Amino acid sequence: MLVTIDCYCAVGNDREYDFSADDLIRALDRAGVNRAVITPVDRYMVVDNCEGNKFILESAQRHPDRLIPSCSINPWFGKRGEQELRRAATEGARLLVLHPFIQGYQANDDLAWPLIEIAAEERLPVYIHTGPPGNASPWQVIDLAEQYPTADFIMGHCGATDFWNDAALAALSCENVYVEPSLARPFKFAAHMQALGPAKGVMGSFAPINDLAVEWTEMRKLLPPGDWSDFYGPNLLRLLAKRGPL
Amino acid sequence: MIIDCHTHWGIAWQERDRGDPARWMAIADQHGITKAFLYPHAGIVRSDSCAVDNDTVAAVAASAPDRLIPVATAWPQMKEQGLEEVRRAVEVLGARALKFHPWLQGFSLADPYLGRICGLAAELRVPIFFHDGTPCYCLPEQIAGLARRFQATCFVLAHAGLVWNWRSAIEAARRSNVWLCLCGPPQRALEVICQRADPDRILWGSDFGFGFADSIGYWLSVFRAARIPDTMKEKILGVNPLHLLQSAL
Repeated sequence: MLVTIDCYCAVGNDREYDFSADDLIRALDRAGVNRAVITPVDRYMVVDNCEGNKFILESAQRHPDRLIPSCSINPWFGKRGEQELRRAATEGARLLVLHPFIQGYQANDDLAWPLIEIAAEERLPVYIHTGPPGNASPWQVIDLAEQYPTADFIMGHCGATDFWNDAALAALSCENVYVEPSLARPFKFAAHMQALGPAKGVMGSFAPINDLAVEWTEMRKLLPPGDWSDFYGPNLLRLLAKRGPL
Repeated sequence: MIIDCHTHWGIAWQERDRGDPARWMAIADQHGITKAFLYPHAGIVRSDSCAVDNDTVAAVAASAPDRLIPVATAWPQMKEQGLEEVRRAVEVLGARALKFHPWLQGFSLADPYLGRICGLAAELRVPIFFHDGTPCYCLPEQIAGLARRFQATCFVLAHAGLVWNWRSAIEAARRSNVWLCLCGPPQRALEVICQRADPDRILWGSDFGFGFADSIGYWLSVFRAARIPDTMKEKILGVNPLHLLQSAL
């Protein structure tokens, strides 16, 4: 049976939504998706990282067969942030999320390098929100990926919207970079995947900002699971399982 | 009724179909699109294509006059010639609105001739659609700045701030002469926009026609899934676009 994993679903109470782990399980069931990586909401990515990471770890522990915890660290916390990343990884986090736009730096800024080094050591893939001009463009991700060839990078949103032209060429230039479609929209992302091939993509919905079922349904129309099965789960599972079986 | 307020007669479509919108319309028909505002594409990419593309869009729209609403562009960098093109497009070709893409067209919203075009649009009673959500010439707050300066002109943020600037689009729409076209922000943003902005000044669009990809179905799915009252959805899809045309005229 095809394993399906959603790479990016925010769980918790943020400014404009309150999306519980149970809500997400229901959404996964509606869309016929096995598992999801869950991530802290925006506020927890910017401040109170430890509180947010604990919430995500606890939420995932209640649904261990369905939810896979990530963590986020704001690089501005320096050594404290590095310690928190080690702690979160030890507690079970399988992915590091960086959001340079709201965390306040440029994606290739040396401010974040210590976190990348730890992620590489701990075998955590690094998901970077891309798209906001100046803060997080696809080629900034490539700067990181070249510098840290043993780390895996997921280019969240493919630079949508302004940098969508760059995403495929950038991702092609580095073996350790994968693309994720949320916000890039299926009708544009499908062309990227045609250029990149099935091994370079991981499916993500960015629920609840987007409707999980809509995103999966629309993507399946354009990239049929029969032909693109690795994109819908196995590629991500391979990255997440580098730290150990899931 | 579904009126798509953001479509293009794309370069690829013109190269393949030579002014015949049959295949373009077939996709619109699949999704039940009743009418569409048809923007140029070649004309917002090259200044030397502007007048020809305005002619083309007008001719394409004239082949389906009950369905397609022609929209024209001009280039402020062409100064008096740009102003003349606006007047020609509206008075001779029958354009019902203007569309600018300052990022692609490469002009600042502070361009003095753009200011004159904004004044002329008010005189000609046509709304102006702006690409928005993109620095450094197309941010919602920059367009709101124009709306402050030209209070008799109707401005439409054709992407409602896109992915990262929709909060600023909501602020821009505090101006009574600023409308928002839901074409690009994620679903939750659409819901928040509909809660906070004036429901009488919200439109919907798909950006269909920029290439061959069918974006209408996806964006209709997102809009239909959004937790927005059905009555408001009906206004946005069918009533408000007609009011936009009537209020500008």
